[in-house]
Amino acid sequence: MSIIEVNGLQKEFLIAKRETGFMGALRSLVKREFIKKEAVKDISFTIEKGEMVGYIGPNGAGKSTTIKMLTGILVPSAGNVLVNGIIPYENRQENAKNIGVVFGQRTQLWWDLPTIESFELLKAIYRVPDQRYKENMDIFKEILGLDEFLNTPVRQLSLGQRMRADIGASLLHDPPILFLDEPTIGLDVVAKEKMRTFIQEINRERNVTVILTTHDMEDIEKLCKRMVLIDHGQKVYDGEILAVKERFGKMRTLVVDLEEAQKPLYVSGGEICKQEGNRRWIRFNRDEISASELITQISQTHNITDLTVEEPDIESIISRIYQEGFTEPQFV
Amino acid sequence: MGQLSMYWIFTRKAFLRSSVYRFEVWSRTGSNLIFLLMWGSIWTALYAGREEAGGVTFTAMLTYIVASQFLDGVNEAGTPLWEIQEKVRTGDISLELMRPFDVPLRYLFADFGSVAFYMITALLPLYILIFLFLNLALPTDWITWVYFILAAFLGFLIRYCIEMTFGLLTFFLVETGGIEDIFYFAMSLLSGSVIPLWFFPAWLETIAVYLPFQSIFFLPLSIFIGEIKGAEILTSFGIQIFWLVVCFLVLRFVWNKASHKVVVQGG
Repeated sequence: MSIIEVNGLQKEFLIAKRETGFMGALRSLVKREFIKKEAVKDISFTIEKGEMVGYIGPNGAGKSTTIKMLTGILVPSAGNVLVNGIIPYENRQENAKNIGVVFGQRTQLWWDLPTIESFELLKAIYRVPDQRYKENMDIFKEILGLDEFLNTPVRQLSLGQRMRADIGASLLHDPPILFLDEPTIGLDVVAKEKMRTFIQEINRERNVTVILTTHDMEDIEKLCKRMVLIDHGQKVYDGEILAVKERFGKMRTLVVDLEEAQKPLYVSGGEICKQEGNRRWIRFNRDEISASELITQISQTHNITDLTVEEPDIESIISRIYQEGFTEPQFV
Repeated sequence: MGQLSMYWIFTRKAFLRSSVYRFEVWSRTGSNLIFLLMWGSIWTALYAGREEAGGVTFTAMLTYIVASQFLDGVNEAGTPLWEIQEKVRTGDISLELMRPFDVPLRYLFADFGSVAFYMITALLPLYILIFLFLNLALPTDWITWVYFILAAFLGFLIRYCIEMTFGLLTFFLVETGGIEDIFYFAMSLLSGSVIPLWFFPAWLETIAVYLPFQSIFFLPLSIFIGEIKGAEILTSFGIQIFWLVVCFLVLRFVWNKASHKVVVQGG
């Protein structure tokens, strides 16, 4: 059995429609109209124990809604969710013991108390045995460097420290599953790197299943083998990151600066996707034509003053998938 | 029992947390004193030198008001209505749903901590002085004190259930100003916190008697000044327990509805 099973998941919200004007306000006193918003339309996936999966999508795609249904704080409108064999929303408190959650945007630590107090509180809430608590704290102190700020009130922590404390707090009760919602948001490069190393280590050493939501593609590239891509509440892609890179990674962009820009430029085997002043962006498929062939072709009609070849990063690949869909032909 | 020890930690942490906000203790005590002074003066003026009114002596009335301000201090040290509403609005309370504890119970135990801190550091020292130096009609036998403390505690629990219920209604409403108005109106007038029910016009008294709010202030205070005594005390406890059960069931009902319908803002 997979550790997480999501089947035909749907969630719709009713949003009160705001009427404009005085009469509208009066009308809404008596009768309120609602607009149905489908945050999650139809999502299915399964995740195996020990997997580390990137769950990504643009703002409003339904990421957080899905995560909230997995944690049991939202009830699905339709479909099934099974987390470690438990239906989260029916058995929230049981489910809570199996999961750790980190929201990059808000802390779950007690704002006005020294950081250590929150850990003690969580120890009591999850009934972590003394011995285990000590072991875990020792590990967190070592890898996350919690020592330096355990006695500082949470509100005085830097963002990086707070995130470290938060992720430690989410793992205190040894949950088999960890949900990370933008765990590196707002962190500087060094702090991000530390955070990623820690997540990797936790995944490797404790076999914790990690579901990672982020807008930072570097997080995904460095941490996950697999990604689930959603858009408008639907799954767009589910599979290995490498496969996407293989498929879309063949696309290159040749950027050339031309001398006689007013002279029209025709290229075969590539597509001019952008032009700005003297500069042209030509997209081509590595398998069909090589960069040098393209350059030779262009130099027959134009003088090239400068050129670069751009390889796509995962970020631009994904933004292309959002724009064009995964199944559409990638090249004309 | 293991359950209970888990909730006690909220009491302990809330106690610690209160100590962070020392200024709040001072400002709250200040305003409590000002209101005491105000209501004391108003009642002194209303009695206008008479020994008694409506069958109640001036001293008893003054005792009623002083004890009422004390109870008010106790009740206000808990999580206030607006804070519950805020927690609902920001989704903080929904996030607590993914913890293995019962949310309303957790807030109650945290409130015990805040109240304990406020009582120890401000209320008790202040009111012991007031009780000692003002010429009040304090209960002379210890059993009345015990009854009063018990009744006040029941009242505190009833108030907690009502305030939490009102706060949770934020889940279902877009605007909550009306809810607040009703709550504070009921808490100040219908509870008998500033005017004892026996001074109410008959129709209003009837209404107040059939509502839970009198259990919070009027009943414990009447026991304190000896207006309710003997077998009446049992009836009074009966009324309180009845309302506690009702308010508790309503709270559970609203909480179940709310947590099932959780709409996290920005979902």
